[in-house]
Amino acid sequence: MKSQGVYLGELEQLILLTVLRLDGDAYANPIGEALASSAGRRVARGALYTALERLEMKGCVRSTMGPPVAERGGRPRRYFTVTPTGLAALRASRRVLLGLWTGLESKLGTP
Amino acid sequence: MTRLPSAPPARVERLLGAVLAAAPYRDDILGDLRESFEDVARRRSLWYSRAWYCGQSVRLMARYAWRLRPATPARRHTMDRFLIDLRFVVRGLIKRPLFVASIVVTLALGIGANVAVFGVIDALLIHPFDLRDVDRIVMPITTSPKWTGHRETVSSADFLDWRRDVQNGAIEHLAAVDWWDANLVGRDEPERVLGFFVSPGFFQAFDASPAMGRVFLPEEEIPANAKRVILSDGLWKRRFGADPSVVGKTILADGEQWTVVGVMPASFSFPMRAELWAPLVFGEKAATNRARSYLTAYGRLARGHSLDEARAQMAAIAQRLARDYPETNAQLGSQVLTVSRGMADVGVPAVLALWQAAGVFVLLIACANIANLLLARAAEREREIAIRLALGSSRGRVVRESFLESALLVLLSMPFALSVAWLALRVMHGLMPARIIRYIAGWDHMGLDAWTIGAAFLCAAVAALASATLPALHMSFGGVSDALKADGRAGAGPGRQRVRRALVVAEIALALPLLVAAVMSASTITKFLTSWQGYDPDGVLTMRASLPASRYPDAASQTRFASRVIDELTTIPGARAVTVANVVPALDSNWRRPIEISGRPLDGRAKAPEVDYRAVSPQYFDVLRMPVLSGRGFTTADRDTGEPVAIVSEAMARKFWPDGAVLDSRIRIANGPWLRVVGISGDVVHDWFDGQQPTVYRPLAQAPIDTVTIAIRTDGDPMGLVAAARAAVARVDNQQPLFDIMSERSVLTERTISLKYIASVMAAFAGIALLLALLGLYAVMTFLVARRVREIGVRMALGASQRDVVRLALSQAVRLTAIGVAIGALLAVALGRAMEAGLLGIVSSDIRLTAALAGVLALTAVAAGYIPARRAASVDPMTALRTE
Repeated sequence: MKSQGVYLGELEQLILLTVLRLDGDAYANPIGEALASSAGRRVARGALYTALERLEMKGCVRSTMGPPVAERGGRPRRYFTVTPTGLAALRASRRVLLGLWTGLESKLGTP
Repeated sequence: MTRLPSAPPARVERLLGAVLAAAPYRDDILGDLRESFEDVARRRSLWYSRAWYCGQSVRLMARYAWRLRPATPARRHTMDRFLIDLRFVVRGLIKRPLFVASIVVTLALGIGANVAVFGVIDALLIHPFDLRDVDRIVMPITTSPKWTGHRETVSSADFLDWRRDVQNGAIEHLAAVDWWDANLVGRDEPERVLGFFVSPGFFQAFDASPAMGRVFLPEEEIPANAKRVILSDGLWKRRFGADPSVVGKTILADGEQWTVVGVMPASFSFPMRAELWAPLVFGEKAATNRARSYLTAYGRLARGHSLDEARAQMAAIAQRLARDYPETNAQLGSQVLTVSRGMADVGVPAVLALWQAAGVFVLLIACANIANLLLARAAEREREIAIRLALGSSRGRVVRESFLESALLVLLSMPFALSVAWLALRVMHGLMPARIIRYIAGWDHMGLDAWTIGAAFLCAAVAALASATLPALHMSFGGVSDALKADGRAGAGPGRQRVRRALVVAEIALALPLLVAAVMSASTITKFLTSWQGYDPDGVLTMRASLPASRYPDAASQTRFASRVIDELTTIPGARAVTVANVVPALDSNWRRPIEISGRPLDGRAKAPEVDYRAVSPQYFDVLRMPVLSGRGFTTADRDTGEPVAIVSEAMARKFWPDGAVLDSRIRIANGPWLRVVGISGDVVHDWFDGQQPTVYRPLAQAPIDTVTIAIRTDGDPMGLVAAARAAVARVDNQQPLFDIMSERSVLTERTISLKYIASVMAAFAGIALLLALLGLYAVMTFLVARRVREIGVRMALGASQRDVVRLALSQAVRLTAIGVAIGALLAVALGRAMEAGLLGIVSSDIRLTAALAGVLALTAVAAGYIPARRAASVDPMTALRTE
């Protein structure tokens, strides 16, 4: 796996894609909500942070702090953006999945 | 619209912040949660949103708590690994609630039963006394090569010599104790109180100081100063209304005035819940009396001296006494015991050892069951483990998980085990009458204490190790490639099946001896209790009185009391017959006397034979419905002025007059006058462990006594007579207290209650053992059959009938049961022999009983195996073949 770059778990892929979709407005709360609404995955708060932490360690996302927000008790938001490494990893897993899907349409198309 | 932000619970937020201290996104997590909270609060009530906040916080804390790491990296690694293993095991267990429940129940019963027995052993044998520094309190006792056991009592002259010679040696505060059935008279009705005469130093020996007043002084040993008493806390509160100025007042006991010098605290009531203490007086004859030993001696090991030194010093004193007084002390030695050892009942250790052995059997069966369950689980996981091993997981880790799993299960079952033990001890304590408890040192504080709980954990550790070792071995030595190649029929390896079968055989083999022991004790005891014991215990009221020497100093006054009591009691409605005697059958005291038969002089040093001795008024045999087999009973004509006569029991006649020439032969009791034997009475069983003892009866008028038992025969309920009987005795002497007022049936019941205890505890053990063994067999048979579903499918597809399949599956159960029963029968015979020896011969082992129970056990075991066999036969062959 290492030779192909960073390996992404399923939840990690979902999070990266969601961060991309949120486009600059991606901090933990909207990421969680988007995962719930668009991917149908209710991710526990703690699990989300752990996954984000891991993604940042792998270099797939980068975080920047926003301005302080009163609603947050004066704390700033941490916004996530996908790094080139993250994009590469996403592309790689897409390639693998598409490769595996090709030729299976007849089997998977209709049950 | 602006809205003031509502705040989440501040304390929860702070706590969360503290738990998350090490988390990389700590502030962000707090901020995000706060923001979501605002969001929830806008849509829902404040209550709801706060609850929501708390719920989220708890979940976050639970997740991040795993990450609170210990300081050093090495420890961090170990800790992490442990936590990961723990989490893994916990998850595995949560998925199998039934598996966990069955193990917890099994362990709770196994450990609980053992802890309960240990609780009894602890209370009765190890820590029977709630005394300060109990290990330093000693009891010097007398030994002799002529006796099998030892004697706790000592004569007054020997005691005085002991005390003088050991004074500055290894034992200090050596004190003697004598019984005192004190008759208290005062504001309330007369009462008989359990008292003791104690020599000065007694309280110091026990390091007991009074709550009020003082203890006895050395000069109070002299008769002129001896009329002093110390009250127990209970007596002080009950009879003196906790009067704070009681010290210095006088009380009336046994017709004499006694000055109260002190009150002991509630924590001290030695010996036997004593309520009253008075100074022990050594009269003029005391210094020369070496023949009658009636004192019990207690002392305290002096500082810096050991028990062995005390033993050596006492042995030297005994040697000197043997040299100086050869006629009385020639063969007497001395031994020093700790008070816990010295006061233990002789029969108790044997019974408790039997119980503990039964408890260990039950625990072994429980462990075998659990090992079996764990093995089954290991079999389920065989492929998983093989894959993990193939992928590089270490065998050590797999084994560690197995032990961790057992440890966790054992820990989980501990509260239940302790509850079972607590309940068992409560029940045992509750069933024992309070009257008897005081004679059993330690029974009172039987319960769960630090020792018992410690024993429980020890027991649990053993159980965890014992049940985890086999599965762990199997997991670690199983071949990886074999498991992977096996077609999913895990646990089918011949080696594993052999172990499982061996465990079932062991369970059955252990259950049978327990069953035999339980039924054996229950049946012999029931047989004893329901059999004819020589008298009719129903419809008889008994009560006792001890006549104080101050008011009944001589034979004439004692005889007058007895005859007047008989006259008064005969007049009360419902009383058919009345007797006064020293002892009635099954009473917890017995009188024995040496006898001599005319024309058969004792040769030299031989000891005169002793027989049970009864002094009875004429209607004794009628009240107890005892037959007079030949000759005559006693009549009112047998006065002290008439011819001295006696009646002997059948057993006595058989033993001493084998030729049958009993009537009109002459005997003598303890160098008294010669008596003519006028009748032979039927035998009675006085003590269940002695059987029918030779007994001699004397007319009360010719042999007056100062401690009397009154017995009244009635047609109705004997307890209905109590008020009238009390009133009748009060008409004779209104200062005379009565005690132990109870029906003769209750006397017998109390006397034999220990037998019922032995039987019911054994029955409980046997029941648990049987249940566990059957469950084990059932589980194993189910497992074995499930593993053979495919084979069964093939057989049925090839034409085997349902009956063939049942026979196939059942034959395994039968084989296992047969081997187990065969081994168990051997163990049962051995245990039966041990019980015969240990339980004073009342229990007799019986080969037929063993055989019958083996049959019963075999049948139930095969029945337990039949259910899975039936299920196997009803399998649809097609389904069976498809099973992977």
